[in-house]
Amino acid sequence: MNDKFFDNWTNQLRKGMLELCILNDIRDRKMYGYEIVRRLRRIEGLIISEGAIYPILSRLKRQDLVATSIQESSSGPARKYYKLTQRGEQMVSRMNAYWQAISGATDSVEKG
Amino acid sequence: MIVLSENARRSLDDYLRQARAYLRGSKSVDAGEIEQNITEHIENEFEGASEPVSCDELEAVLEKLGDPQQWVPEDELPWWRQIILRVRSGPEDWRLAYVSFGLFVAALAIAPTTPVFLALILASFLASRAAISEAADTKELRAQKWLLYPSLIGVYGFLLLALLTWPLVLMPLGEIYEDRLTRFPGDLRYWVTVISANVAVLGAWWCVLAAVLLKPRKVARVLFGPFAHAFKPKWAFWLLAIGSGVMALSAGVCIMYYRYSA
Repeated sequence: MNDKFFDNWTNQLRKGMLELCILNDIRDRKMYGYEIVRRLRRIEGLIISEGAIYPILSRLKRQDLVATSIQESSSGPARKYYKLTQRGEQMVSRMNAYWQAISGATDSVEKG
Repeated sequence: MIVLSENARRSLDDYLRQARAYLRGSKSVDAGEIEQNITEHIENEFEGASEPVSCDELEAVLEKLGDPQQWVPEDELPWWRQIILRVRSGPEDWRLAYVSFGLFVAALAIAPTTPVFLALILASFLASRAAISEAADTKELRAQKWLLYPSLIGVYGFLLLALLTWPLVLMPLGEIYEDRLTRFPGDLRYWVTVISANVAVLGAWWCVLAAVLLKPRKVARVLFGPFAHAFKPKWAFWLLAIGSGVMALSAGVCIMYYRYSA
């Protein structure tokens, strides 16, 4: 029972965090999908299945938060690069501000 | 392009098929784009690796990519797929197959002469199509096919027959013929010309049908899935040849008989 509750909770938290991490990851420079996966897989507990990142990227693209461009690579196959759109920039700023506020508040509640 | 061993290629094809089957119709994501991403991911993962990539090496990467069913929440799928997923959790789930076969047997046993028959057969047919649409490949259905196929064969058989012969059914519509029958009961010339003209129209229809089947074969695949996957273009050429022959022969008979039998 407790395990199931914890699993559900972590799933929900992870889903939101994954979107935030992806948007922050491509904030400063464009990246290709595999590069994003490789960077995010270093964060313990964030990714359960690496493939889940691609539907998120697809959804963000449909919502006009990221844009894509194809670029040839000298070392391998052509790569699809993702970068934030203007709308994505605004969204990630809002999301970061919200996250800062809520994590700060959570810390203070936890400390009593 | 990386070179995969034969088993690895088969394994990747299965995986992509599963992903496609699960993401099909999703409102929030583009299934084709995700398939490309997965292929690109695998290419990058094996960049510089010794080739051909073995099945074990590929399976390790696919395992990290995870089960496609974990990628998109169920509530982002279209309503009809959410219903299907609720009654069929996977290829090992036989519930839809039992429902389909049960409805088919009920139709034959309980109500063969009533309109309920049509409703039951249609419900059985839809249950079969739903089960098949959820399978990444019909091979994974294994023995369930024996329960799912009877209603499909019944409905498709009827549809195919109707599609092939409807001009014959529609053209000599009762009233005109009845009227003619009373006016020309023993007029052989009349009957030969009318029937041969109808058969010529039927031949022309087969030519049209063959042309449709030759080009947008996707229509045939959607209408007659999963059997239409075995459809070969040469069958359309055969239909075209037979249709042309029937049309030419019947039109010839019609014209000759009309002209020279008077």
